[in-house]
Amino acid sequence: MCGIAGCTEDPEGRAVRAMCATLRHRGPDDEGVHTDAAGGVSIGARRLAIMDLPGGHQPLCNEDGTVWVAFNGEIYNHPKLREDLRRRGHTFSTNADTEVLVHLYEEYGEAMVHTLEGMFAFAIWDRRAARLLLARDRFGEKPLFVHEHDGELLFASELTSLLEVRPALRELDPYAVDAFFVFAYVPGPDTIVSGVRQLPPGHLLSWERGAASSRERSWWTPPQVGVRRSESFASVAAEAKLLLDESVRTRMVADVPVGVFLSGGVDSTLVAVTAAEASSQRLKTFTVGYDTGAVNETERARAVAERLGSDHHEVTLTQADVAERAPAVLAALDQPLADHAAIPLHALSEFARPRVTVALGGEGADELFGGYPRYRWLERARRLQSALPDVAVRSLAGALRQSAKLGPIERASTRLAPTPVLERNLDWVTSERRHRREALYGPRLTQLDRGHVLASLATRAGELDGGTAARWLMHLDQVHYLPDDVLVKTDRASMLVSLEIRTAFLHAGLAELAGSLDTSMHLAGAGKALVHAMLPRDIIPTTHFARYRKTAFRVPAAEWLRGPLAPVLRSQLERGTIYSEGFFDRQAAGRLVREHAAATHDHSDQLWPLLSFGLWADRFHGLDEA
Amino acid sequence: MDSMRRNGSRPGARPRLLIVTPDFPPAPGGIQVVAHRLAAGIAGMEIEVIAPDSPGAAQFDAASGLCVRRVRGGGMLRGGRNALLNLVALAHALRFRPDVTLSAHIVASPAAAAIRRLLGARTVQYFHAEEIGAKPRLAAFAARHADDSIAVSAYTAGLIAEVAPSAQRVHVIANGADIPGDASPRAVDRPTIVTIARVEERYKGHDVMIRALALVLAKVPDARWVVIGEGSLRPGLEQLARSYGVADAVRFLGAVADDERDAWLARAHVLAMPSRLPAGQFAGEGFGIAYLEAAAYGKPVVAGNVGGAVDAVIDGETGLLIDPTDPLAVAEAITKLLGDGELAARLGAAGQTRAQQFAWPKVVARVEALLLAGVGSSPAGGEAPAPEAGRASP
Repeated sequence: MCGIAGCTEDPEGRAVRAMCATLRHRGPDDEGVHTDAAGGVSIGARRLAIMDLPGGHQPLCNEDGTVWVAFNGEIYNHPKLREDLRRRGHTFSTNADTEVLVHLYEEYGEAMVHTLEGMFAFAIWDRRAARLLLARDRFGEKPLFVHEHDGELLFASELTSLLEVRPALRELDPYAVDAFFVFAYVPGPDTIVSGVRQLPPGHLLSWERGAASSRERSWWTPPQVGVRRSESFASVAAEAKLLLDESVRTRMVADVPVGVFLSGGVDSTLVAVTAAEASSQRLKTFTVGYDTGAVNETERARAVAERLGSDHHEVTLTQADVAERAPAVLAALDQPLADHAAIPLHALSEFARPRVTVALGGEGADELFGGYPRYRWLERARRLQSALPDVAVRSLAGALRQSAKLGPIERASTRLAPTPVLERNLDWVTSERRHRREALYGPRLTQLDRGHVLASLATRAGELDGGTAARWLMHLDQVHYLPDDVLVKTDRASMLVSLEIRTAFLHAGLAELAGSLDTSMHLAGAGKALVHAMLPRDIIPTTHFARYRKTAFRVPAAEWLRGPLAPVLRSQLERGTIYSEGFFDRQAAGRLVREHAAATHDHSDQLWPLLSFGLWADRFHGLDEA
Repeated sequence: MDSMRRNGSRPGARPRLLIVTPDFPPAPGGIQVVAHRLAAGIAGMEIEVIAPDSPGAAQFDAASGLCVRRVRGGGMLRGGRNALLNLVALAHALRFRPDVTLSAHIVASPAAAAIRRLLGARTVQYFHAEEIGAKPRLAAFAARHADDSIAVSAYTAGLIAEVAPSAQRVHVIANGADIPGDASPRAVDRPTIVTIARVEERYKGHDVMIRALALVLAKVPDARWVVIGEGSLRPGLEQLARSYGVADAVRFLGAVADDERDAWLARAHVLAMPSRLPAGQFAGEGFGIAYLEAAAYGKPVVAGNVGGAVDAVIDGETGLLIDPTDPLAVAEAITKLLGDGELAARLGAAGQTRAQQFAWPKVVARVEALLLAGVGSSPAGGEAPAPEAGRASP
């Protein structure tokens, strides 16, 4: 785990050193910069030492010094790759996983990425070909931001690093702000500023000196053709378990202590069970709870830990802690992110860090294995819609809306309304924030094309292409919500305290298997049927699955916004740059804050994005002023 | 009472053989080929076949000259189709009164056992592999109620021993190959890798081939992979090929006629089918006729170093056996054979010589000897060829 940076017009490495300095939290143990004065190119890395603690200095090179690499991430299958490469005559000078990259590049060129099982973003400088190759892992676990200008390339693991050396880029993109408010995250490949983009997950970027522009191409996308087959569920579940076992076993290899983040949900429980099976030592498990609100999953996590006999650790995120931690974390995030779970994840990472350097997590299982209930609901709604005449559907939806005050019926009307499935899904996951923009937006955002968000979402979603609505939405979540929210949260919240989270479900073979199955197989029973099938019955009884369905670390956000974060909200209203700069309307936001504080309404779905963006923007503009 | 007397004495008549099989041409697949070659090749017995109906079956049967009773189970689930197959086989046996029942697959074993009990007909049970892992209890039943069992490889014999430790009379008789009259290579413009397998079971390794192909193309940019065979996995594999950016180098031909398949074998530089052991209790490749078919055309093969493939391919002599779950190993083996013409020719030639030993007439003769070994004595008391140890031979 590290941070990397590079520049193609930096023969002395000054810009790269400056960028590396901003990445210290990602890699506190070491820093290195390689400069090729003749080529004008510099690449650098900050390193969190996990493999080959003394020998993994970066950037490192091949035998004759013609290929250099700066690498962020982990290559879980590096021992196997090393063995293959040695057999082919390559000589290694370190035991670090980084070194396999230069030799793989020599052996396979760009196709090397297909050999890698892991999470990564790396830059390879090929001096002889005067060529720079950037690559990002399949799911987007590790970030990579890119700025191109006049044929020159600048890149880094975090946006903040690029802005450090190119202050002129600190111009917020109003469309990105609009998308952020709707989604609660900034959808890639765009970023919150207009001059910087992200290399998308599963993509390569090749830059050559003298070429008009760089060449970017996809090298892997999540498969999404599920077909009904004669093979038994048991055989598929057995294959999935085999792949998960391999994934967990390889992810537990490290020269530092490894633990598991156990939320008490099905996914992290399965990871913990599998890790306990694979470990010869007593497993360390960690969970987080709260001192307010109805959300608390520590008991379930404790029960699982007891059954596993793990060395279990719990931390309580108190309201006092939230008052200090939340503003600091939300402001420090690289891009604005309004995922509540970033706060407990940061607290848990900080709590676990003195005991372990690496923690396994269950991220990605919901997206790969159909864990969200809306997949089934929207599939049903689509079937119903196609079975009934249009007029009947409209009448039904209209009648349901008439009785909308009944709560559950309001939800049903939303789910059954005759709107395209993509919009229905969007409104479901975003609490209909796109419909609330008019009231909240300030002059900087009011002139925007309101259809832009939906249009760009449709582009990312691609075509339904004959598959089920559930398959389409699962794929969309795999290329949108997973890389741009879940994995951003995981990477940034843990990296702020120099802890590495490894995701057990984000394994290429497992994802390809999941993507090749008919959605009915995933959505059988309570959903996420394969995950349930992989879990030993003595850990969670089958009859209790529904109770364990919730995943990740849930958060009492509404209570926090009325309690420890209420002063921050008020302060934002008074002095926040998002209001003074005209992005949001102070009066409208003030009304939401008052209603929420009085507990007459729950506006946390709107207030959390406002708070997150506000705190982030204050730091951003503070940088600007500096 | 011996079987001839039970069935009614027919001095001078050929013994009657009833073949009951859930798989028979024109449907494609390895078990189909085995059942057909035996039905067509056994000369010393009067043969009737009970098999499911399938598209084109009437024309096929008419052209083949075989006596095939087709069972119509269209629209039924697989379990229902198999139950119907057994019922029809039993009813037909009461009229045909076979001396020997050959159950070509364990799903036909209930009928074979019933015929044995009711008519005293000798029962010989075929075992392939995958079905033993998928239905271990039925496999044990089939082994217990057979007078003799045929395992298509030493690997399969081992699987039988696991599910039915008391099964004694297990004979390893490898599958055969059709030896082409003209096996001369055909001119081809691109380095060509061929896979012949139904695209139905994951363990055949099409997915690993796609991952490997991305690496093969890094070394042999103009290589292409030709996939012969149809099945429900195909759309997903086509998408996986697009996902890996190798779709332009892959041709999914679907099910093709035998002469087209043979033409591709003549054009191929290498046949690759990295069959692996499925997870859990599922047994995978029993033998892999495709390996022998390619060898008969003088082509080197790349196969998994597990399951029945190790009987079909001699590592370093007729092909390369590799870890079938490892795309790097698969890619390395294919690249080596595409890049080293001398090695490919040597392995291909050795494979071609060895394939002659597996010519179907030889395999059929061995099976026929086994079928006839017990006829004329008590059902369980006949002398059969001694079980074979180690690597299978025809």
